[in-house]
Amino acid sequence: MDSKARMHVVVLGGGTAGWMAAAGIAKLLPASTTVTLVESEDIGIVGVGEATLPHIRAYVERLGIDEAEFMKATHATYKLGIDFRDFGKIGDSYIHPFGSFGEDVAGVGFHHWWLDQHHRGNVGDIGDYSMAVAAARANRFAPPAQDMTLASTYGYAYQFDATLFGPFMREFGIKHGVNRIEGLVTSVERNPENGNITALCLKSGERIEGDLFIDCSGFRSLLLGSELQEDWQDWSHWLPCDRAAAMPCTHQASDIRPYTIATAMPAGWRWQIPLQHRMGNGYVFSSAFCDEDKACNAIQQAAEGKALADPRILRFRPGRRIKSWSHNVIGVGLSSGFLEPLESTSIYLAQMAITYLIELFPEKGRIDARDRDEFNRLVDMEYDRVRDFLILHYNATTRDDSEFWNHVRTMQLPDSLMGKMELWRRTGRVEKYSDGLFYDASWIAVYIGQGVIPQSHDARTSMGDPARIANALNHLKQAIAAQVGAMPGHVDYLQRNAARLAEAA
Amino acid sequence: MSKARAPLRKIVVVGAGQVGAIVAIALKRALPACDITIIGTTPDPAAFADNAATALAFTNKLHDRLGISETQMITAAGASHRLVMRYFGWAETGSHGAMSYGTPSDPAMQSAFARNWGGGSKGSTRQPQMQSVAQALADAGRFIRPPNDAHTPISDIDYGLRWNAPAYRQLLVSIAQQLSIGHAPGDVAGVTLDESGSVASIEITGHGAIAADLFIDCGGPQAPLLSRLPGHATQDWSDHLPIRRVHLAAPGQPMLALEDRISFLGQGWLGECAGRDGLQSTLASIGGLDDTAIVSALGSAPALSIDCAPQRCEAPWIANVIAIGDAAARFEPLAGLPLDLAHRQLSLLLEMLPGQLIEPLERNEYNRRAVLMMDGVRDTLSMHYSAPHAAHLFDLERSDHVILSLDQFTRRGRLPLWEEAPFSASETMGLMGALGIAAGTPPQFATMGSGQIAAMRQGAEKLASDALEFVPPYQQWMAQMLGQRS
Repeated sequence: MDSKARMHVVVLGGGTAGWMAAAGIAKLLPASTTVTLVESEDIGIVGVGEATLPHIRAYVERLGIDEAEFMKATHATYKLGIDFRDFGKIGDSYIHPFGSFGEDVAGVGFHHWWLDQHHRGNVGDIGDYSMAVAAARANRFAPPAQDMTLASTYGYAYQFDATLFGPFMREFGIKHGVNRIEGLVTSVERNPENGNITALCLKSGERIEGDLFIDCSGFRSLLLGSELQEDWQDWSHWLPCDRAAAMPCTHQASDIRPYTIATAMPAGWRWQIPLQHRMGNGYVFSSAFCDEDKACNAIQQAAEGKALADPRILRFRPGRRIKSWSHNVIGVGLSSGFLEPLESTSIYLAQMAITYLIELFPEKGRIDARDRDEFNRLVDMEYDRVRDFLILHYNATTRDDSEFWNHVRTMQLPDSLMGKMELWRRTGRVEKYSDGLFYDASWIAVYIGQGVIPQSHDARTSMGDPARIANALNHLKQAIAAQVGAMPGHVDYLQRNAARLAEAA
Repeated sequence: MSKARAPLRKIVVVGAGQVGAIVAIALKRALPACDITIIGTTPDPAAFADNAATALAFTNKLHDRLGISETQMITAAGASHRLVMRYFGWAETGSHGAMSYGTPSDPAMQSAFARNWGGGSKGSTRQPQMQSVAQALADAGRFIRPPNDAHTPISDIDYGLRWNAPAYRQLLVSIAQQLSIGHAPGDVAGVTLDESGSVASIEITGHGAIAADLFIDCGGPQAPLLSRLPGHATQDWSDHLPIRRVHLAAPGQPMLALEDRISFLGQGWLGECAGRDGLQSTLASIGGLDDTAIVSALGSAPALSIDCAPQRCEAPWIANVIAIGDAAARFEPLAGLPLDLAHRQLSLLLEMLPGQLIEPLERNEYNRRAVLMMDGVRDTLSMHYSAPHAAHLFDLERSDHVILSLDQFTRRGRLPLWEEAPFSASETMGLMGALGIAAGTPPQFATMGSGQIAAMRQGAEKLASDALEFVPPYQQWMAQMLGQRS
């Protein structure tokens, strides 16, 4: 590659990750790139990630996309968190909110005060002290404030139709200059000297040359996996789910929940993701503990509305490539790694890789090994931290009602997670980091929600007058209840602006 | 069911300097029922944190939390505000750069939600060079303490304070006395361990044995307590940091200025801290300077000369002893870093305050973060010696982290996140710019049209002119503050 002004970027794959990458690069680096995306109508897309994390908003805003237009196109609803049911034990339910619980008092984290009152039997669900949880439980929604008040203590994401998000980004990408080519890749040309990919050869005989290739070919990982043979680190011993049976159904009620439900199942868990016109359902399961027919049957039984299609089986394997950027190929999305959608991280993981790639985009057409290493360091850190957080959901349980739960409850944990859990169990403290995803509030939500109550908490909580502390907690709970009571219902809020409503299906 | 841990009943703080005093105050505020005694050990002039007359912006937050008001600092401790640190000669002879504090605020990133929910790029990407409001104010000599009850054109400005060190210590001592914190003069003569290896009591000269649940070593660079424990070890930083000798001048003329200066001199640096009670000049050198050279650099004969052997302890918390400040890490007194580190370690201790029984995992987590803090300071210092002029003269080792940061900054205009670092990513970028380390251009810059950059520049100029209009001359405000006292 010589030092030419523009780098020719070829994105392989027209799924969610492919169009997010192509649109993002075309929009944010227009002067230094030309972007071509190769996709084939013969290959379906997985369409992962019907539920998202709040970070998606930064991506949408940065690209200058109008929120209402985006919500209309993807049939989106608002999301305040995930309701995890039956995880710690059957009958449990807790919401992991996009937000925190209470606030520090006298320099001591809120959860220590809550634990102390909990010990005295003075307190209810920790979710009562979270705006996001209380609003979700009440099926209400209003956008958060941007100040230091209670109303700024939560965030939101969207629940949308992933099969519509890709096409929306396609339209956006094409408008911003992405050149779309329909075709099937039959072979790959490489530079014999350095091993870089130089061109994709299509079935039509067309040759697509490029300087930088973004592999968004999903699990097939045509470039990073098949062609470059980059090793895959398998995590199925920690995350045994490797299939999903997905099936949409109608809404059963006129109300729409501003949150996703994840319900633990005998061999995994199932999602319920409410969109504007339908409910997404799916059973994520481990094929070692449940066969596909049984899973399809289970999701048909479990769905609350009228089925809109037959269950569709998706197959996957948890893990990541040792290197997500190798030679001149960058994997984004499933070709680089997969973590089951338990915490709605799929789109986040694609987005974070795109963000880092843009920050580290090759200069003057030359890839610098140091940038490649930095990209891989960051991507690995993100995947590994999410991985530990997901494993926690399985391991922090007392369930012994199936072989699957016996396995995950007793499995050997990664050292990085074992240390965190032991610290929590002994002291009620959360190992602190500021990089990556899921901070203290998230860990606390899952620990407490799944019944992992520590043996002890901060000594300072025992020093105040318990009645006064109980009173203060009660105050907070009432303030949250009052604010939530003043919020419109989720559906009412959605309908306030017709521009965000999809046309009737 | 989770039980509150039994609280500490008795804590002994070794060292009655400003570090020991503020640690005792903070612990007393956190644990009002706890018996806290300060051991007044012999002061060590080589204790740079203990003798510091300045720190960084973090200290203001700590003071707020402990009820030490800025008005008290101004009226009782001779405090004044530093908005800008000017760096002379670091890029090349005659060069000048300035660093200010604080992070340009994005309201969306300041909400409670943004603070509590992570994800994505936490480092920083360079923004087009704009006029800094702090620098405009420092140049114009205009400033007031930002009112905290309203949003004003100077709300985003952060600053460091500098003060009269003996007066500041006296202020802390009087607060400690009001809080009934005990005081016993003497030096540590020995420690008695119990069967578990914890310190049961310490022997104080002229006083006898004092027992406690927890001991804090703020006894200066000798770490009189921590160094007596089995398992104590130090990590040498002398391959990373060149300064071996520090000369302090007697206080010079009183000054009221919004900036301090650090000039690179080839064989070290000269720090000039504008104190209301006198300019404080510090000469830090690689050693081997003759008296003439020292006097010529410092402007007078040094009042005090001290050896400096940069190092940190392997673990600041061993058994039931926690070292804070000089006892944990020793390094040159540059830019307020020694006391800032002590104050951030104290804040970490408050966050993870143990109960009567020490939990080893909690101790490990404290040590993990405290070590990150110390290495972050070493790396920040190391960044100074990576400035072009300094790098040309010294051949020093750099940590992987500094190497990565320099590479990413110079080529890509970005900085990876440093966990527990003294400065935010955007502040560190400001520092690197002030040191003359040339920043690369982030790829996204290319998309910014000249119109967009001009608009940003105009916005920045507007912010600066609004701020200048909003505040009176600093001198006038300070006179008013001091007038209110009488």
